[in-house]
Amino acid sequence: MIQSTAKKVLEGGRVDRAEALELYRHAPTHLLGQLADAIRARKHPERIVSYIIDRNVNYTNVCVARCNFCAFYRPVGSSEGYVLGFEEIFKKIDETIAVGGNQLLLQGGHNPDLPIAWYEDLFRGVKARYPAFKLHALSPPEVLHISRLHQIPVPAVIERLVAAGLDSIPGGGAEILVDRVRTLLNCYGKATSDEWLGVMRDAHRAGLRTTATMMYGTVETDEERIEHMMRLRELQDESGGFTAFITWSYQPEHTERGGIEATGVDYLRTLALARIVLDNFDNLQASWVTQGGKVGQLSLAFGANDMGSVMIEENVVRAAGASYCMDELEIVVNIEDAGFIPKRRNMHYEILGDPIFRERDVPRMLSLATARAGGDSSVPEELRNYPARSREGKRIRLSQ
Amino acid sequence: MTTSSLFDVLMERVSAGERLGADDLAQLAATPDILQLGMLADTVRRRLHDSQVTYLRVALCPFDKPFTDAVPLAAREVRVTGTPDTLEVAITAVEAARAVAGERAVSAFSWLDVERLAAAESSRPAKVLEQLRGAGLDALAEVPLDRVADASSVVQTIEGAGYRHVRLTIEKAPAAARTSLFVAAAALQERFPVIQSISALPTLLDALRPTTGYDDVKSVAMARLAAPNIPTMQVDWLRYGPKLAQVALTFGADDIDNVAASDDAPDGRRRAPLEDVRRNIEAAGLEPAERDGRFQLIS
Ligand code: SF4
Repeated sequence: MIQSTAKKVLEGGRVDRAEALELYRHAPTHLLGQLADAIRARKHPERIVSYIIDRNVNYTNVCVARCNFCAFYRPVGSSEGYVLGFEEIFKKIDETIAVGGNQLLLQGGHNPDLPIAWYEDLFRGVKARYPAFKLHALSPPEVLHISRLHQIPVPAVIERLVAAGLDSIPGGGAEILVDRVRTLLNCYGKATSDEWLGVMRDAHRAGLRTTATMMYGTVETDEERIEHMMRLRELQDESGGFTAFITWSYQPEHTERGGIEATGVDYLRTLALARIVLDNFDNLQASWVTQGGKVGQLSLAFGANDMGSVMIEENVVRAAGASYCMDELEIVVNIEDAGFIPKRRNMHYEILGDPIFRERDVPRMLSLATARAGGDSSVPEELRNYPARSREGKRIRLSQ
Repeated sequence: MTTSSLFDVLMERVSAGERLGADDLAQLAATPDILQLGMLADTVRRRLHDSQVTYLRVALCPFDKPFTDAVPLAAREVRVTGTPDTLEVAITAVEAARAVAGERAVSAFSWLDVERLAAAESSRPAKVLEQLRGAGLDALAEVPLDRVADASSVVQTIEGAGYRHVRLTIEKAPAAARTSLFVAAAALQERFPVIQSISALPTLLDALRPTTGYDDVKSVAMARLAAPNIPTMQVDWLRYGPKLAQVALTFGADDIDNVAASDDAPDGRRRAPLEDVRRNIEAAGLEPAERDGRFQLIS
């Protein structure tokens, strides 16, 4: 069956669940890579590998969802909980622009003390100061959280956020889109599979482009990994709104769930399988942040055509033990060394140009920034303007 | 000949157990298609070792630190590290390692250390090797092909001093320069069967200019293809990390060297070094087998 499925893939055919499972379980790793690479070459014959310079800012780590695979969140009232101030975020944007960045990837915990008006004011503030700067913000569970907090339907939340300046939605929080898995990971409550897909459908209908993700390596079966891909493929057939797919392995350190991380070969096989199954996705990102630069680069032989972000800041996977860092120079060296042509892009995967460091001097970044310096527990001034829901939030407001 | 037909022809030849010539290897070294290269190397690997991957648990002991607590029971080799200034210090370190190692193998130092110590003593490398052997040394930890002027006389000297295994390494040669070293290593092994293993990736890591994943897997594959007569193709677990080491197993490597011998598992049994290495080998579709420092399987 593997040979006939391989032939079908090479001829541009679409694999079904059984074929995908057979390939994932039994195809030799190099064959999986070759099939994925053939699809990449078909979709990107010019051998361009893109990347984006942006900053992954986590505006708050306070979260009521309590997913058991997450090492990043702090419960409401924790002394380690934080909310970034608008000025702090503007400063991060200045630093991002200084190294040639054009976008913030803005995601955070489900903080009950941040009403929709806080997001709207932040987005408006960003757009007023930096009109051309893009906001790739709020994954589906965060949108749902705001919708539930205010009892406003998701399409209306999206409409308001877009009016305030939202440009696109990141595909975080998908984990595995199978409710059995979500229940075991304690993330069913933040968004069921249908709810996650529903937010994306609404976003696509509103004209937004989004990405899709998959975090594998916790409790899911092989079949459930494939089910996740199939559900994304179906929605993409329907809406065409996904720009890219990004997968990474669960990072277990400091999480409640614990356990072990899936291996590098498993990552390359999963990535290759995603390229084969998700035949209607144009772009696949390499997750060098979780896999390291070397396996990150090898991803380019296993179906990836994008190196993701030249990340200036990372907080979430770092909290769970991954701390790889590559600046633009290193990303470009890795792309060229693998025989590809590096190009900067925007969130819509439109090519913006050649590496910025070849156009002008940019500082080298040898370590990733964090949301906040350790020990900084300051409470932003403007929070007092937004009513808190939690008892702890109310106490903080009163003490301000 | 198109690239794919070249690979088809080469695949037929390596499947039949044929050695590739210098021209074939040069063409392969120039290809960006690491997957085809990996398939060829994997074919050789499987012909030699089927699905078996060996691993070695090593206790690394800096020569100037006490050894007793540094050698857990699980270690299958005691490896003395560092560069002692005098032969006397080197001999004392090897004797101390031998005392804690018991029956287990003791390795230490590099050929370059032997040359340096010999020069300092106004002695000959052969003599220094004999003295270290007398102190209990089983093997040099590194014989860096890219740092020796006459590899043939080096290996002959080591063999002449009574050593049973030679482990060839690369210290820092850039990727482009390695293929010719692997070809030379293959020729050398034909003359000196005492050459048991080769480690294709640099032992000296440059933090500012790290090697890339492509470079690494390509080097491993080229070494496997250039030197199918060298029985063991190693990758260093500690230096290169589980992810790259595991991927290297699908590009021709058949032995994981330098696995921590510590039984400590502060993060739980499944993350202990032994479990981790076995799990990575199995997840690559291969079968783990522990070996000792003398390349003997431990049943
Ligand atoms: S993954 Fe997101 S939603 Fe889940 S606990 Fe962490 S911050 Fe909260």
